Amino acid sequence: MEDVIVVIGGGPAGMEAALSLAGRGHKVYIVEKTNALGGHLARWDRLFPQQDPAQEILNDMLAGIKNADDKIEVICNAQVQSVKKRMRGLEVMLSNQKMILADAVLVCCGFDLFRAERKEEYGYGIYDNVLTSADLEERFKHKKVLCADGRVPEKVAFVHCVGSRDEKVDHTYCSKVCCVTAVKQACEIKELYPQAEVFNLYMDLRMFDRYFEQMYHKAQSHYGVHFVRGRLSEVSETADGRLQIKTEDTLLGRPMKITVDMLVLMVGMQACAQTEELSEKLDLKVSASDHFFETKDLFLKGNYAHTKGIFLAGACTGPKSLPDTLQDARSAAESIHRYLTA
Amino acid sequence: MKDFGFGIKKSGVIDLDKADMSLMREIAAEEPSFLHCFYCGTCTATCSAGKYTGFNLRRLQLLIKRGQLDEVSERISECMLCGKCQWVCPKGVNTRHVVMLVNKKLHARKIR
Amino acid sequence: MHERFANAYDPFVIPYMIGYVFVLAYLVVALVTVVKNLPMSDRKKMLRHLFSFKLFVTIKDIFADCLLHVKIWKKNKMLGYMHSSIAFGWFMLILVGHIEIFFFAPHRVNLPWYPIFFRYFMMETETSVGGSVFFFLMDFFLLMVLSGIALAMIKRIRRRLFGMKRTTRLKWNDQLAMYSLWCIFPLRFLAESFTSHISGGGFLTRSFGMLFDWFNQFMNNDALIRPMWWAYSIALMVFFLTLPWSRFTHILSEVLLIYMRNAGIRESSKNNGYAGVEIFSCSRCGLCLDPCQMVSSASLRQMASVEFTRNVRLRQNKQAMEAASYCLMCDRCVQACPVGVNSVQLKLNLKAADVKYTYPNRYDYVEAEANPMDTGSAWADILHRTPEAAAPTKKVVRTPEVVYFAGCMSHLTPKIEQAMVRIFEAAGVDFTFLDKDGGICCGRPLMLAGDRTGSEQLVAKNTEAILATGAKVMVCSCPICYKIFKDTYKLEGVQVLHHTEYILQLMEAGKITVRKSSQKGVYHDPCELGRHSGIYRQPRDILYRVLNLQQTPYEGKDALCCGHSMAGEGMPYKKRRMIARDALRKMTENPVDVLVTACPSCKRSFAEIGTEEIRDIAEIVCDQLVTR
Repeated sequence: MEDVIVVIGGGPAGMEAALSLAGRGHKVYIVEKTNALGGHLARWDRLFPQQDPAQEILNDMLAGIKNADDKIEVICNAQVQSVKKRMRGLEVMLSNQKMILADAVLVCCGFDLFRAERKEEYGYGIYDNVLTSADLEERFKHKKVLCADGRVPEKVAFVHCVGSRDEKVDHTYCSKVCCVTAVKQACEIKELYPQAEVFNLYMDLRMFDRYFEQMYHKAQSHYGVHFVRGRLSEVSETADGRLQIKTEDTLLGRPMKITVDMLVLMVGMQACAQTEELSEKLDLKVSASDHFFETKDLFLKGNYAHTKGIFLAGACTGPKSLPDTLQDARSAAESIHRYLTA
Repeated sequence: MKDFGFGIKKSGVIDLDKADMSLMREIAAEEPSFLHCFYCGTCTATCSAGKYTGFNLRRLQLLIKRGQLDEVSERISECMLCGKCQWVCPKGVNTRHVVMLVNKKLHARKIR
Repeated sequence: MHERFANAYDPFVIPYMIGYVFVLAYLVVALVTVVKNLPMSDRKKMLRHLFSFKLFVTIKDIFADCLLHVKIWKKNKMLGYMHSSIAFGWFMLILVGHIEIFFFAPHRVNLPWYPIFFRYFMMETETSVGGSVFFFLMDFFLLMVLSGIALAMIKRIRRRLFGMKRTTRLKWNDQLAMYSLWCIFPLRFLAESFTSHISGGGFLTRSFGMLFDWFNQFMNNDALIRPMWWAYSIALMVFFLTLPWSRFTHILSEVLLIYMRNAGIRESSKNNGYAGVEIFSCSRCGLCLDPCQMVSSASLRQMASVEFTRNVRLRQNKQAMEAASYCLMCDRCVQACPVGVNSVQLKLNLKAADVKYTYPNRYDYVEAEANPMDTGSAWADILHRTPEAAAPTKKVVRTPEVVYFAGCMSHLTPKIEQAMVRIFEAAGVDFTFLDKDGGICCGRPLMLAGDRTGSEQLVAKNTEAILATGAKVMVCSCPICYKIFKDTYKLEGVQVLHHTEYILQLMEAGKITVRKSSQKGVYHDPCELGRHSGIYRQPRDILYRVLNLQQTPYEGKDALCCGHSMAGEGMPYKKRRMIARDALRKMTENPVDVLVTACPSCKRSFAEIGTEEIRDIAEIVCDQLVTR
């Protein structure tokens, strides 16, 4: 008899885990709350560190799922209503009244982007030329990044750590991917508009992974991006609709103002909105410090939830880059396989 | 004797071995958030006083932690205590309390 | 009635007399100390009050507050009865006891112990009408006090019955005083009961005496008489001796406090004189505990005002300073205090006493030529304006109708500034945005931190700039600024308005029109605007016209604090956040679309929690503007 696994969330982690599990002969149901698979990946244009098109990677995964349609069933526009323990396995009730008897459940509900409106002094939702990193990706897809009045931006500033490492919004952690994304996007702006001046306002540049430091090097030497060590304090609009931003050049020790045409806020990751609800339904533990799910440990049980038969993968257990998420999904599949065959 | 000019200018080297770290310890004891600062400079960027003068709270906090108190006592009075820095601080440092404590403790030292 | 003992004395009066003399001496010393610490003008006020008609008002107030505890009745009937039965009953026992002496033993008036131990020294001969009336009255008031003490005992265990979630925890000195107070009246009751077959007694003491006699088959009742009177006397002595170090000093000092207050004396900027009397008037009733959000939301019980006054009294300066630096000065405890102790002022005074530094010309840099940011602010322009430039003939200088002062905090809530500018424009008002590119602080934050000279220096700088604009109206968005502009600044010819007041004026004058939305909202009164400045009506009048305004249990004077006032510099951010989160949760218990406030600090404080839509009243009005 084949084992049945319910994967909650059809983002990269959910898709990759499903492929991995199907490859091992298990039956997988992907429960996705929106109408399509892909998660945040579907919103992105190109991926660090080597500018791979996000769409291609997504298409590869979608094709894999299509090929395995005898093993993987995708249920879109559905959410988990309840999970009950049964003699063998778990009874998963979905919002569309479908019931699945599962041997294991894998939670891959991912992350939400920080709502930049919460930092009112940064002007998102107030001034037209303040964007988030996700808004910018959307524009990169169309190969056009223009100001609200249709002008080509002459000066663009990127603000790192928006909604990350910030006690005032109760996100004390680093979101890991924003620094490198900011460097990537700064380079992309320069590719699009070589004349533009680009400023990256960072607190610490966390170029920790393979190729990241090279990207930083290229941004400085090849693209001439300006790196300013300082955090944005506030934004105001000038009479001509541009943005005056205030920061401190902390390396020089002097306050600094820059007038820019466009301001990009590198929004961090936060636990997804369903975290609390899912934690109640599936009896999962949520960390009091960062509000992401807790795994049994950070080493050998890194994909095990505290409840038997439930597993976790991807950014629902903390910020992860896409490569890390995919790795984590495959490792979760391995953990589930071991659990089911033990 | 030939003068190389070395003795004239004050050395720029911070001699941490001889630095006065007592103020740092006193402030940290009364306001533990003083130790949370990661020097992002948002306080300085938003500072109402910094617009007019060289007052730089990030730098002053660091100077206290390096025991370099001359500049601190020269500058600390310039703060208006308006509290913008406290609002924008991502680390939840009680900046206003830090400034109050520095003022009080430096004054107490002068009297002594 | 006639006397049982010719010498009118028994050794058991000695303990009582020790306590009596001690309390009298304490009273004299305390009064002298208080008066000595008062400025001459206040001393004159005290003397003048003694011979004025207002003295009757004072007597009435003392009667209502110290004996009947009218203010506590308004809070909770049980609590009110408990306080007034003890205070009023005891007072009546003393009063009627003295009248009794005048009636039956006028030659003993000069013996201070005589009215206290009257039933022992006097015995009834035949039942006279007058005597039975006194027996009844004395027993009635004794019963009243006993019922109050019974309630006080119950309150220690079941305080919810008295409308209190929390009550004070007592230290040994207070406990000793309280237990001795609790003992006095039951012991008096027993002593009088056992004596009642000799001296007579009323419905209570005589009946109990008989009942006890009937039950007690083994022992001669008379053997218990003198031990009981001894115990009664000792209980009185212990109470009197512990009084100066206990919370019961308020019995004496509250009378003085009311007298001084009615004589027109107010808190000065120092914690002596009147403030000293306030500190001793705190009865540690604990009514300030429940309103204090540091206690209810942030587990900071040790910071409550009742603990603060105690620490000041015991000269535990470190703890008192800590409480003062934590307190958000929301004034909720001051509102709740039945004695009228202004503990917020006391804390401010303590903070000010701790600021010993002053700096000459501290803020002259505001006018300095070299402006590192060089933003060309309206501020610097105004301060640099030469007399020629200020002359009305020059075109560059215009006198705007209105000066808009957003305040430092509003720069971090640009939506408020944006909304105000749009409202000014919609109303066609000629205005200057004084601190558009950043201004200087109003001085209230320094004042709240205890730096009074620093604050005065900023006030002087700002006054100069505001008057130089020549405007007749100044509108502020920040209630913190508004408070000091109103109370401390001397801006002659300039009307200072908070934007809630100003927007309502514009609406009522028909300068702006709004449409009502179906949005459901609640209004949060900022402390500085509400309790500190008394602006409650205007924001509500505005909101009734723009949205569906709902009520919360925290309206007006009962409003909660957002946790982020400019006071409380010592309170850790996490604690502030706990207060903000709890306040927000309470106000939005019935779900609404939006929580409206009128202060940039309150707005940010609640917005940081991130669960509800928080907006300033100006934004709401701006959204609902009907453009002509």
